[in-house]
Amino acid sequence: MSNNRVSRRQFLNYTLTGVGGFMAAGMLMPMVRFAIDPVLQSKGAGDFVPTDQKVAELTETPVKVNFSFEQVDAWYKSDVTAMAWVYKEGDKVVALSPVCKHLGCTVGWEGDKNHPDEFFCACHAGRYHKNGENIPGTPPLGPLDEFEVEEKDGLLLIGPVRPNTLVKK
Amino acid sequence: MLFTVKDVSDFLANKPFIDTVIVPLVQIDLSEDGIKQSSSASDYLLNLTNFIEHQFKGRIMLMPPITYLKGVDQSGAMLLFEQKLKEAGFKHVFFMTSDHSLTALQQTHTVVWLPSIPLESMDATVKNKILEDQLAQVIPVFSAKWSQA
Repeated sequence: MSNNRVSRRQFLNYTLTGVGGFMAAGMLMPMVRFAIDPVLQSKGAGDFVPTDQKVAELTETPVKVNFSFEQVDAWYKSDVTAMAWVYKEGDKVVALSPVCKHLGCTVGWEGDKNHPDEFFCACHAGRYHKNGENIPGTPPLGPLDEFEVEEKDGLLLIGPVRPNTLVKK
Repeated sequence: MLFTVKDVSDFLANKPFIDTVIVPLVQIDLSEDGIKQSSSASDYLLNLTNFIEHQFKGRIMLMPPITYLKGVDQSGAMLLFEQKLKEAGFKHVFFMTSDHSLTALQQTHTVVWLPSIPLESMDATVKNKILEDQLAQVIPVFSAKWSQA
């Protein structure tokens, strides 16, 4: 046994401080968290949807990249599979929406033998340059939309759609 | 285009471009040993026609399916439907089905027959792959018809 024995008063002091400390911490923690909430928010993907496409494997030739996300229609939840045409322009990754600006068909890359290096819409022979710019004289009236892209762990993430930023007017 | 108010308004505004219609024909078999297979075939056909509609949204109108009981003759109904659709301005009418007996009507109608594939046991990626493959088989049929006119 050691010589400095703990008196009853000391013992109670220690215990009460300890318990009180925990209680105070328990009350303060949520308050502090509320106060600094924006800092704690996870910065992850946000609206970005992961795909199986490795960024390193992309080339200058557009490839199909499928991605799916959950869509809620009133009470009906479904997994929607969508597609993007993805290629590299220098070091920049470009993801174009395949939805034709004419009436909403899905366009294909080099879908027509007579027009290589172009996107082609089989419905009404609409054509687009590689950067999505519509070719005058074909039905589409605007350039293909573009997806925002991100990279995470070497894989491509596809984000919200926005108007084409590659076409210079 | 789907047969919904929004798409039909688009159709009315762009009538000359949307000249093709798909009518799925779904056979319903209620017998004890046929009902499961019948539901699987119907699921497959509706998935596939939706997929095709998605690809060719700007040229094809997908009609709600015609359902009929097994063994009931469809030739009269199909003839009338096709006639009315042509009167409404559609140039090409495709009937799609996974019921083999309807291939007998191929002389009077464009019947695209596709054997049904059970999709229920597949996960989304495989299912998508299968539908893409099936679509690739159907595209030549459509383009052949379209290039005729």
